[in-house]
Amino acid sequence: MEHATQQPGTTLSPLVVAWLALVALTLLSLVLGQWFHGAAWLQVLVAAIVWIKGYLIARRFIESELAHPFIRNVLRGFIAFTPIALLLTAFYGHQFARWATL
Amino acid sequence: MTAIAIPLPETQQESSGLGRIPGNKGIWVGICCEFVEFLVLFVVYFVARAHFPESFEQGAERLSRLSGTVITLLMVTSSFCIACSVATMRAGERRRSLYWLIAGLVVALGYPVAKYFEIQWNLAQGINGESGIFFTVYYYLTFNHLVHAVWGILGILWVLARHLAGGYTAEDYSGLEALASYWHATDIIWLIIFPLFYVLV
Repeated sequence: MEHATQQPGTTLSPLVVAWLALVALTLLSLVLGQWFHGAAWLQVLVAAIVWIKGYLIARRFIESELAHPFIRNVLRGFIAFTPIALLLTAFYGHQFARWATL
Repeated sequence: MTAIAIPLPETQQESSGLGRIPGNKGIWVGICCEFVEFLVLFVVYFVARAHFPESFEQGAERLSRLSGTVITLLMVTSSFCIACSVATMRAGERRRSLYWLIAGLVVALGYPVAKYFEIQWNLAQGINGESGIFFTVYYYLTFNHLVHAVWGILGILWVLARHLAGGYTAEDYSGLEALASYWHATDIIWLIIFPLFYVLV
């Protein structure tokens, strides 16, 4: 298994790249929200941005690829939940509301 | 006299190829609990949004996007600084690690300050917890996150005190890494909250 031979990072350059990407994605999502407010495809793009940002934090800052499989899977599941829920609510909101009515 | 060597469980795990535990097991129990708590809150958000899509669309336009963006940049930057603190500690550069941790603390302290100004701005616009379903969910989720961030800031202060006292070395920095893991997890949660209220709808 590859992760067993890797060592935790001691260099800052991957962290700097991840930080710059996170800042850029934050600003990009703001611009997209302003320009394309209400467009259906925007939901897909923002869901993707949320997932990428979570992935970057998990992969670069927490180094999840070196972590115990349980931790890796917890992070994967948590990061995937909201983008999936966003898409389901955007495209099947009425059905979901009916299903979630007491 | 006979010396008894007790193997470290983490070392065994790493050598068996199961992967390492960033920080320690205790912090990951806490992080899992934090994730479960926010998953429940996110479900509440999506149920409310599915029932009242108009309220969510109108509500998001009344919030201060500037505040949300500033808090996001503060969270991401403090998370970056603390990740650098861990990396430099691993490299044996104790003083640099300390400086990165202090930078992370200073940036993190900007979050409650920015939140204070956001709440003041909200109240000036007549936005409070009874302004509608969107704002009830917004206050509940964002205050909850603020509480977790304050715990994280207290954790940074504790780790900083230990770091100043020489409590960490290049071989043993699990306390620093545990704090970093918690802070990164809290950062991930904010990165999810940000588009839910300030950008998306």
